[in-house]
Amino acid sequence: MADKEKTKKFINRLKSRNIVRPMVNKMYAEGVTAANEGRPLAWSMVNWWEGDIVMRAMGVTPVYPENYGTVCASTGMAQKYQAICDAEGFPTHLCGYSRNHIGYAAEMKKLGKIPPDAPLGGMAEPTFMLGSGIACDTRFKWFQALRQYYDVPVWTIDTPSYDHTEDIDSDIHEHNIRHKVKELERFIEFLENLLGKKIDMDLVEDYLENQEKVFQLWWEINELRKAKPCPMHSRDFWTLMVPGYYMTYDKDALNLYHQVYEEVKARTDAGIGAVTPEKYRLMFAELPPWHSLDFFEKLAERGWNFVVESQGYHPPEPMSLKTGDSVLERLTRWTYWVNVGHIRKAKEKNYPLFGPVQYYYNWAREYQVDGFITHSLLSCRTATFWLPHAANILKEELLVPSMNMEGDIVDFTVFDPDLVLKNAEAFEESMDYHRGERKRKGLEW
Amino acid sequence: MKGKYFAGIDIGSTMTKVIIYSEGIRGQVIGPTGPEHRHLANIVMEDALAQARIPFEAVDYVVATGYGRINVPFADKQITEISCHARGVLHFFPNAGTVIDIGGQDAKGIKIANNRVVDFVMNDKCAAGTGRFLEVIAETLGVNIKDMGPLSLKARNKVKISSICTIFAEQEVVSQLSEGIPVEDIIAGLHEAIAGRAFRMASKLKIEGDVVFTGGVAKNTGMVKALESHLGRPVYICREPLITGAMGAALLGKELVEKAMESGKAIKIKERKLTTARVF
Ligand SMILES: Nc1ncnc2c1ncn2[C@@H]1O[C@H](COP(=O)(O)OP(=O)(O)O)[C@@H](O)[C@H]1O
Ligand code: SF4
Repeated sequence: MADKEKTKKFINRLKSRNIVRPMVNKMYAEGVTAANEGRPLAWSMVNWWEGDIVMRAMGVTPVYPENYGTVCASTGMAQKYQAICDAEGFPTHLCGYSRNHIGYAAEMKKLGKIPPDAPLGGMAEPTFMLGSGIACDTRFKWFQALRQYYDVPVWTIDTPSYDHTEDIDSDIHEHNIRHKVKELERFIEFLENLLGKKIDMDLVEDYLENQEKVFQLWWEINELRKAKPCPMHSRDFWTLMVPGYYMTYDKDALNLYHQVYEEVKARTDAGIGAVTPEKYRLMFAELPPWHSLDFFEKLAERGWNFVVESQGYHPPEPMSLKTGDSVLERLTRWTYWVNVGHIRKAKEKNYPLFGPVQYYYNWAREYQVDGFITHSLLSCRTATFWLPHAANILKEELLVPSMNMEGDIVDFTVFDPDLVLKNAEAFEESMDYHRGERKRKGLEW
Repeated sequence: MKGKYFAGIDIGSTMTKVIIYSEGIRGQVIGPTGPEHRHLANIVMEDALAQARIPFEAVDYVVATGYGRINVPFADKQITEISCHARGVLHFFPNAGTVIDIGGQDAKGIKIANNRVVDFVMNDKCAAGTGRFLEVIAETLGVNIKDMGPLSLKARNKVKISSICTIFAEQEVVSQLSEGIPVEDIIAGLHEAIAGRAFRMASKLKIEGDVVFTGGVAKNTGMVKALESHLGRPVYICREPLITGAMGAALLGKELVEKAMESGKAIKIKERKLTTARVF
């Protein structure tokens, strides 16, 4: 956050979350060490695990520029890197993550070494970059653009267009799985050629098993949050998602989620909430303002508990695995499932919505939320264009009102926390009104 | 509540408005907020008290609202202008369903049902689409802001203003003037642009019920006409459209006191003195 004044604390944070910070530090330190020792280092887009497991099994250490964007935003360094990116001539309407990373890479190239003030020790020069076809075009175009600074191979794992209601058709689903498996096979071939060694599929399977356990626990933790009062705030979710997003192969991640589960379960059993009193239960879409997370304390002071959030960061819900699947099929099914599971679920009511909208529609009922806060990002279409649709559906069908805040994930200059706080008061009036309406119309909360 | 006095003060970006209420409006004053007068909210309050012929100490409850509401040392409570506007509008128009408020520095849409704010939208990121925009252009055109409305009604061919940025729109207007386009056609074009923005903003709320237009810009007859043509229906305007926020503040204060009395609890009233407000 730009303004470092101390904010009073109203969110009862989980103790177990303290384990995450050293894990993140270690992730970045390992990246630098790998590069120093001549081992392969990748700059990788979030690829929803499939590429990560393969890279790890090949002895590659990945670091994630998108995550680094959140680190730079929360440490205040992002403004500098964004300014460098702008000065390099890249358009300012690129998303905060890409501007931050491009600026960082340009700076590192100019200095000929990791910038000495880079947060968490920085990210060293990569051996290759891994883009992903999931989510948006920026996520492979930005790496292609970076080749002007670091001329290393850029590989992209393609993905079929997901999130569509057509995916309910099982022929299309299986066709897409086959396509994705092929993509992984080609990626493995690329790595084997680049690194001159063969992949150990047993190791892939070991990592995958660890990952499946991580998913299960991480999913169960979020299920516990349906309790009233909700025992875990979105702030803890955003801290705890890092291992579940980037380190699913790692036993430490599994251990972490065991501890988190115990703590959240104990709170649930004892009726302890993350915010006391829990006057309002809120749901947040989609990417948070990483530069201003302390801002949620001010909302907590008003009794706002954020009980569920950021569908793109959640683990896939449990699914029954097909017998006879190869390891790669199994791996890719999870990546695919996280995006289509909720649509599948909606088939029952014969009313599937566009992927992310469906998530929030289901969650609003399951978590019994009072309000929906949408964070429209000036620079990210992917996480923004469906927000008004989600807000309308929630209001019309579930009588859950929404409030929008404009901002950016990385660039704090376009976010106005005072305005949001000012509007919060009026939004409470709207939430009270809709609570009465839901009761009147016989909805369950 | 007989014999009780309630004050509402709405410190806007340009204007400060005060209402003293006791079974009807006893005092109503509108005075400027901005820059040279920024410390004078208490003076506006004093004027209103003089109208009501009561000393400040006789006021039972003071609610502050508006942009400068946080720094009013003599208020018992601050309430957001969205709630206050809604409440004030309902006092004048009990059937109101939608409020479009265009003030000096923001524009907002509020939807009301059962005496409550149901939903709202706001545009405060930029001056375009607000009263400030009209003030800037009025100055460029050398026209008094009060004459903008009547002048625009004489337009024969309203121009199209393509810039949505105040600075660029100003340049556009200057170049249109130099092309000899009549001032009234330019002003009508500006009103059209602002009304279009306000309409698009309010449409997000799904406009229902009677539409009430408030805020200083509702004093501009040209804007009223332009907004009505976008909405395809008439809009309702208070006799004094600037006052709804302060009116709502006074009434919400009254309701708070009544509620407290009904429940037998004493309402918290601060030690307060009528001193200078820090608006900025
Ligand atoms: N007599 C008038 N005729 C036309 N426009 C007016 C008049 N008085 C005020 N305005 C407009 O109203 C705006 C101020 O509105 P107001 O609701 O008081 O805003 P705020 O609450 O932010 O001070 C001015 O910017 C101006 O454009
Ligand atoms: S999804 Fe949005 S934030 Fe993420 S890389 Fe794409 S544009 Fe940037």
